[in-house]
Amino acid sequence: MIRIYRRFWQINWAEQWQYRANLLMYLAYWVVSPVVYLAVWSAVANAQGNVQGLTANDFVTYYMTLLIVDVLTSDITLHILAYKIQDGTLSGELLRPVHPILTGTLVNNLAFKALTFAALIPIWIVIYLLMRPDFSEVTAQSVLLTAPAILLGFGISFFMNSTLTSIAFWTTRVYGINEFFYVLSVLFSGQFVPLTLMPPVIQQIAQFLPFQLTRYFPTMLVLNRLTPEQVVQNYALAVFWLIALGVIFFIVWRAGVKRFSAVGA
Amino acid sequence: MSGAVNVEVLSKTYRVPEREAGFSAAARSFFRRKYRDVDAVKEVSFAIGRGEIVGFLGPNGAGKTTTLKMLSGLLHPTGGRADVLGFTPWDRKPEFLRSITLVMGQRNRLSWDIPAADSFLLNQAIYRIDDAQYKRTLAELDELLELAPIIKKPVRNLSLGERMKCELAAALLHGPQVLFLDEPTIGLDITAQARIRSFLREYNRRTGATILLTSHYMADVTALCERIIMIHHGQLKYDGGITDLSRRIAPVKLIGVALRDGAEADLTRYGELSAEENENGRRMIQVPAEDVASVTARLLSELPVQDLNIEDVPIEAVIEKAFNEGEPAQAEARPRAEARQETGA
Amino acid sequence: MHYLKIFSTLVKINVEQELAYRADTVINISQLIIWTAWDLLALSIIFTNTASLGGWGAGELVALLGVFRLVNALMAALIWPNTERFNTAMRDGTLDYTLLLPAPALLLVSFTRIAIWRVVDFVIAITLIVIGVTMSAGGLTVAGVLSFALLLSSGMVIFYSLWIAMLAFTFWFIKFDNNVTILQALLEAGRYPATVYPPWLRMIVTFIVPIALATTVPVQALRGELQWWQVLMFLGVAVVVVAVSLRIWRAGLRKYSGASA
Repeated sequence: MIRIYRRFWQINWAEQWQYRANLLMYLAYWVVSPVVYLAVWSAVANAQGNVQGLTANDFVTYYMTLLIVDVLTSDITLHILAYKIQDGTLSGELLRPVHPILTGTLVNNLAFKALTFAALIPIWIVIYLLMRPDFSEVTAQSVLLTAPAILLGFGISFFMNSTLTSIAFWTTRVYGINEFFYVLSVLFSGQFVPLTLMPPVIQQIAQFLPFQLTRYFPTMLVLNRLTPEQVVQNYALAVFWLIALGVIFFIVWRAGVKRFSAVGA
Repeated sequence: MSGAVNVEVLSKTYRVPEREAGFSAAARSFFRRKYRDVDAVKEVSFAIGRGEIVGFLGPNGAGKTTTLKMLSGLLHPTGGRADVLGFTPWDRKPEFLRSITLVMGQRNRLSWDIPAADSFLLNQAIYRIDDAQYKRTLAELDELLELAPIIKKPVRNLSLGERMKCELAAALLHGPQVLFLDEPTIGLDITAQARIRSFLREYNRRTGATILLTSHYMADVTALCERIIMIHHGQLKYDGGITDLSRRIAPVKLIGVALRDGAEADLTRYGELSAEENENGRRMIQVPAEDVASVTARLLSELPVQDLNIEDVPIEAVIEKAFNEGEPAQAEARPRAEARQETGA
Repeated sequence: MHYLKIFSTLVKINVEQELAYRADTVINISQLIIWTAWDLLALSIIFTNTASLGGWGAGELVALLGVFRLVNALMAALIWPNTERFNTAMRDGTLDYTLLLPAPALLLVSFTRIAIWRVVDFVIAITLIVIGVTMSAGGLTVAGVLSFALLLSSGMVIFYSLWIAMLAFTFWFIKFDNNVTILQALLEAGRYPATVYPPWLRMIVTFIVPIALATTVPVQALRGELQWWQVLMFLGVAVVVVAVSLRIWRAGLRKYSGASA
């Protein structure tokens, strides 16, 4: 089994390495939004001392941490797989005696992640030197405590996106549906602004949804801004969502493959 | 009157960066890049009269496409002159572009998502074809190619043959006087090929358009062209009648023979034998064209033949042969002036 | 006149195509409306926490959002679809056909695909600008509105020119498939006034990829913040950018046909 994964890794790493120039461009895409929000909110905080208790530095560290968390927990399954389902090339992968999503797609994700992360580091350092933020909130303990949250967060977005991708078995409009999900994620994940600044209704809903577990929770955790109760609550919620989304994914995937072979795409 | 196409010592040299494999070589070449000159076309001269259909032949990489691109104005030559209908192609004057067309069999001109009819309308606007003329041309093309049932469908839903019909129609809407066709029948089945061929012949007869055509299919060339121009390694190797060429270079046919299971026979008695069996498990015997009938009869009567077929020598082989036989073709290349006289007027 | 005929034929073809995919159009438009709602919500979140952003009030930011959406619509309606097509044509060699047509290649390369449904985007953008201007009230001058209109158009032209330059670079670096991603990425910075950004980011969006010239600057003119000589200077910049881009484009075409050798 390990051998299979190692082979997949070799192939996918080599493949991603071929696209490294493209990757840099995507990274530009990835970095600009958080940096813009960072600039906007620290400007607001600077002008009036703080925003609901958050100082300019608090905003800078929030968005800079978010940049890293985002790369670590995000998932590109839709872009790897949806077109394969639509043009029928998935059949080749279904013939293999391993689960296509839990092997090839997963490893492809990880290879992409490794390369983007490597490319992010120098950019992050440049931003750090430009902004000179104070990261004293972060402790060795908080980093250790966050590591499992990152894994859970990636697991959650992986299963969520894989389920979304499976919709491609039924409709060609999977990208449109994905866009609606993206709106939800913007609303509830804390990528625009720390959730505490969002309207109360949105905060209420957000705390039960999986979106904040992939971005907001790990970010706040590493910055030591959560109470112990919140940490426990969120970890429990993360485990629940991981299992729930995992189960949903397997059900949807199985039904989808059945349909795929019936249609003979 | 000048002819349709005049080419004088036309050359095209590409500069390609030269690099050895390996990282250190790559790093070195980053600072001091070495270039190598590749002659794609070397001092080629020929002339084509108005209304001629000329086959333009040569193995892959001989410089055919480069020449066609220069003649249609897409590429600047590194040396020499060309004159198409009195224009220098690479000046790309609108009047010039309106009087030629280029069709590349492997590349689609039509947009995949929309019906060909829409692309035609765009061409009408771009080429400034007035409505009456447009209707007339379209009707004529429809008559020859039976376009009506297919031009309303999105191009992606057409078969390869249907698509090629539309491609040709799109390329001819503006009534060009010179047609450059690069592999116009590639990938088509036999019927569709024949269809395109007879269309081109009829189009040439009706409009008096000049056609310069490359093809890998011998049938295209033999059916359409009386004259062929051959190039190899960028140099002109032959310019003359097609009958002369095949009579002189490859006056042979190939007989493919499959014997019944287990049967063995010495086939070399019948003619020169190909080294290996082809993919259908048959051996190919090369026989002088005039002996085909008698050799076939002998094969059938003397051996346990299961299956037998007769083929032309592939054009590639004829060309190969032309180039390998001490280059006699060079001597045959006719002086340009003479060629013009014979075919012009 | 000839070009106008070609352009109107292109529009006609694109409208027909849009009609053929009605369901997609409905989905696209509803998504557009949702995103606009989110954009407004985001602004209201900012302004429940502050009265002004870098000296700009809520109305002015709504107007800026409108301007941003206008540039974004140009991006989505024209730049993305045509770039995609250009890159494909470059890769499979069908660009040759475009270059053989007796019409300017630039016209055909940049206007063949038009995402017609994006007119909705234009309408929303204009509405936002009008609402924003009304909200900010006071101090509107004829000169201000006039220079706003001038600078907005020149900003769009600058953006278009940048795109053309990006496309032209593809003639030198064949595998330059992401030729416009960088434009889109930095365009995000046009949502907010460049004046709130730290100096380094302001430098990038003003001088390197001058998104701010198309977004922040026109609204500054509307606010009456710009002197007449500044307006003239920005218009001058537009002329220079256009001239340089066209030059790069022509050089790219020459490179493609091997004429510069």
